Amino acid sequence: MVLNHSMAVPELLSKAELMKQGAEARVYRVQFLGKPAIVKERFPKRYRHPVLDEKLTHRRAVQEVRSILRCRRAGISAPVVYFVDYTSNCIFMEEILGSSTVRDYITSTQQSDSCQEQKLEQLAQRVGQVLAKMHDEDVIHGDLTTSNLLLRHGQEDKVSDLVLIDFGLSYISALPEDKGVDLYVLEKAFLSTHPNTEALFQKLLKSYTVSSKKSSAVIKKLDEVRLRGRKRSMVG
Amino acid sequence: MHLTQKLELFPDQRVTQTLFKEVKNAAELRQSAVEGKINGALINPTMLVDPFQVMVAANKAVHFQKTGKMKTRSLYSEIIFNLSPTNNISEAFKRFGISDADDSVMIVVVHDKNETQQDIAAKVDGRQVPVEDVSSLSDPAKIKKLYKITPQEEKCGTLLDAVVCRMATKDVM
Repeated sequence: MVLNHSMAVPELLSKAELMKQGAEARVYRVQFLGKPAIVKERFPKRYRHPVLDEKLTHRRAVQEVRSILRCRRAGISAPVVYFVDYTSNCIFMEEILGSSTVRDYITSTQQSDSCQEQKLEQLAQRVGQVLAKMHDEDVIHGDLTTSNLLLRHGQEDKVSDLVLIDFGLSYISALPEDKGVDLYVLEKAFLSTHPNTEALFQKLLKSYTVSSKKSSAVIKKLDEVRLRGRKRSMVG
Repeated sequence: MHLTQKLELFPDQRVTQTLFKEVKNAAELRQSAVEGKINGALINPTMLVDPFQVMVAANKAVHFQKTGKMKTRSLYSEIIFNLSPTNNISEAFKRFGISDADDSVMIVVVHDKNETQQDIAAKVDGRQVPVEDVSSLSDPAKIKKLYKITPQEEKCGTLLDAVVCRMATKDVM
């Protein structure tokens, strides 16, 4: 008989600082082997059938971890994974210190007056480049929003680093349709969170088009997907 | 000089790392380890970037031991296995365990918080040095090659980041 002592992680989390609770997971801040770390706990969902819940939860944790490594291998910043407990579906990863979300950056830049346009355009260009690189690696993020893009402030004058987080809905695909949908999700999230940024998002797409080797097919699909969306006229 | 750290997930346990240079009896040590006479993991320090790398391997090993999921037969062989980027156990020992010709060794012991393990140091014919010195023994070229680290990856993090990420995710890659 094997005794199952898999309570180590839940024990640690019961005393840890809860940072965020989402529909899918809870995020805690802990010290892990001497480093500040984040634990993403995908807790059981009781509204799901238990067998399906376990399969889905496990799959999402695996996908998250695979996509992170795949992005890092291509030179895209994503949190370093330190440890995964597959029994509790908890991922221990690097805490990105000294960062703010792109969402907050856009909001605060829009409120300040100095070089607003230039700063935002520069950001849009960089985001377009990073997403192009990610899609060229055939990684579909699955949940692109400005809250899942972090800017890690470098020392002094050094440019901040764009870090992608939250790969829970990510998967590998070469299909332009999947990449187009990925961009569509970002577009919807972007425009609904940041009013009057249509032109800015266009700059992002332009940067993506220039940076990605396979962009024309993707943008074509994006245009098609836009026509499919909710409240679209189904004429012709 | 040795470095003892705690495992947050297993608060009653500690991991102690001890580093030796100018080791003259590597063959004897390796033989003792193979015979199960050494209560510690004997690691080739040229494959180590930082003590954190060892801690990550030890943490995973203890976790798997407690949940009955170890892939190897003992906690110490599991630590060596966890350092490797592949799932081949004998390759892990070959690359990360010590060889007869080695002149340095990192010894890792997992123990209760109140115990200290000094007897292993007595078996080593070599000079003990601070564990932090391990970076001076690292062979970055060999490490990058074995872990298959891409040049782009080095731009978005340190060598330690790349190594640890692979160690942590190898079960699903």
